Amino acid sequence: MTGIHHMLVHFPLGFWALATLMILVGSFFKGRLADISREALLPILVLSLLAAAITVASGFLVWPLEAALASPLTRNHILTALWSLGIFTMLTVLVWRAGSGAFEGARRWVLVLLALTGMSIFATTGTIGGHLVGATTQFSELLKLLGWDVYNTFYTPTWVIGALVLIGLICAVAGRISQRSAR
Amino acid sequence: MEISSRAAWLVLGLPLALGLAWITHGTGVIQNDPDRNISIPEELTMPLQVQAAFNDTHVYFRYRWPASQPHVLHDVLIYQNGEWIRKGGGMPGPNPEGFHEDRVSMMLDDGSVPGFDRYGGYIAIGAGAAGFTDEAPEEVTKSLPGTRIDVTDWASVKSPETLNALREAGYFLDLWHWRGHRSNPLNLSDDQWVGEQRGGDSGTSPYTTNWDKDANAPKWMFNPETTGQFALKLDEIPGGQVGPDTPYFLSDSTAVAFDPEHEWQNGDVIPRRYIRQTEGSRGDIKVQSEATWKDGYWDVTLYRQLDTGAPTEDKILENQGLYSAAFAIHRNATGGRWHMVSLPVSLGMGREAQLQAMAFNGGQPEWGNNWKEVTLFYPGQVNWPLLISRAHAGAEDIEIGTPVQARHSERQLAIYGVEMEFNNEIISQWLLTLIAGLLAMLGVTIGLLSVFSARSTNRKGARS
Repeated sequence: MTGIHHMLVHFPLGFWALATLMILVGSFFKGRLADISREALLPILVLSLLAAAITVASGFLVWPLEAALASPLTRNHILTALWSLGIFTMLTVLVWRAGSGAFEGARRWVLVLLALTGMSIFATTGTIGGHLVGATTQFSELLKLLGWDVYNTFYTPTWVIGALVLIGLICAVAGRISQRSAR
Repeated sequence: MEISSRAAWLVLGLPLALGLAWITHGTGVIQNDPDRNISIPEELTMPLQVQAAFNDTHVYFRYRWPASQPHVLHDVLIYQNGEWIRKGGGMPGPNPEGFHEDRVSMMLDDGSVPGFDRYGGYIAIGAGAAGFTDEAPEEVTKSLPGTRIDVTDWASVKSPETLNALREAGYFLDLWHWRGHRSNPLNLSDDQWVGEQRGGDSGTSPYTTNWDKDANAPKWMFNPETTGQFALKLDEIPGGQVGPDTPYFLSDSTAVAFDPEHEWQNGDVIPRRYIRQTEGSRGDIKVQSEATWKDGYWDVTLYRQLDTGAPTEDKILENQGLYSAAFAIHRNATGGRWHMVSLPVSLGMGREAQLQAMAFNGGQPEWGNNWKEVTLFYPGQVNWPLLISRAHAGAEDIEIGTPVQARHSERQLAIYGVEMEFNNEIISQWLLTLIAGLLAMLGVTIGLLSVFSARSTNRKGARS
């Protein structure tokens, strides 16, 4: 399964990189290429999710689960992969919901911010994957300079876990309140 | 203002959440816990310099390593209100009073122990090892996996006949073990082996215990005529540090029988070990000249006959032979498993290897500045049964013989060793972090749904 996972992983990474590029082009440029980027973004995002789901599933078959959970590198690979999937799922939902107006007004800044965040995380996922097969890159050195050595498991203290949930809750409630007040 | 503009700022919740996670990651779990035998050293790696040389009869190893202070006292007996109290026994991490000797040790093999040249000391850490959180109810020292019927069961030792046959076949590691207190004062080193356990070579060890169980008192004290003292004074050895001219060990030349009639004072300190001359194979290894601690570094040279005549206790070395060695250092008053270890290093006797022993003529080697630099690391709680189990992703690599260096650096192994001490807690916290991150994303998405409502779409496919 290791080889198949290595092969499959190119698909979500390729789609996500392409989606990020399309969001940047669609947000900051005019012309046919920008139009195509905006029009084709949703199908690319949907394909990326399908590819990612299959790839993540194949990743869990590379090693026994107890081995994957016992390895700091693998734990980090799983976390960043699922967070990447989470962010591009956000993008997919938002672009799908807004339809052809996904790039209007402040929305494009939302898309850009999410895309760049997602890109950073899936780049980290790929870098850690490289470490797992013995092919390290300088990107992990950059992460180290920024404060995270990828050989350490990425986890947070309990109060931060609570804060993350709280932030999500506040955003959800604030959004709903904002929507109601606008009606 | 449009809905889309008004609530778009909610997207900042995501970088806020992830930024908070980034700033605080890796905290809140790893901390010393003596009840679980956990003490994490401040430095996870350290350097060791090694040189080797040999002549027609002897082999020499020179070791040099940093140590902020020399610890040449080991466990001691302190007089307190009519009783002699032991201080300095093994404990997780550094002894707070500094009573634990510095040590350098080296395991040596000639290729008879499969895997040692690729995995070094890891193969000698079996199930239930002393000092682990899940240590066995009785002290389990180093051992080799082939001496157990089931490597996951520390008690499943093979029959004496099989163990003898294994030993005859060379299935053991030679263990050179210099002890800052329990051998060095007489320029000696302990000579041991690792097989079904860590044992001493035949003969007399360089130390014995200074304790009379029946009398509940020491057997020996300092000889006041030769040392000028009956005992050390606790307040004169802060942090276990003795002055350069202070007699600090008991031996034939420095000790006499304990005098219970002496007016002992609170704070009187007598070493709990008596240093003696070795005999037999146990005394094969000696210190060349004197071990020195100077300017923050220990410099120790050990030597031994190439052929000690004890092939079932020592690895016999030959010119042009290729061997494997792994090193360990105890410093900062630490004992037991709280040491720093190396990965295996190839040793060539006059031939190319990671550590090449240089041939020389004469009585003692002329050491140049050609050191083999070795990185030692804190190994944490990782044992051989774990490494070959389904819980280690590299178990298949071990099965096909991939050397540890091909997959892990010393720093990486140290980090993994520490994390393994908190494996369950870290998995739990990691999983919660993962889920919390996803929940934060879900919340931000819900918040942004109003911004991305199709109702507010103006122009198809256009940006404003």
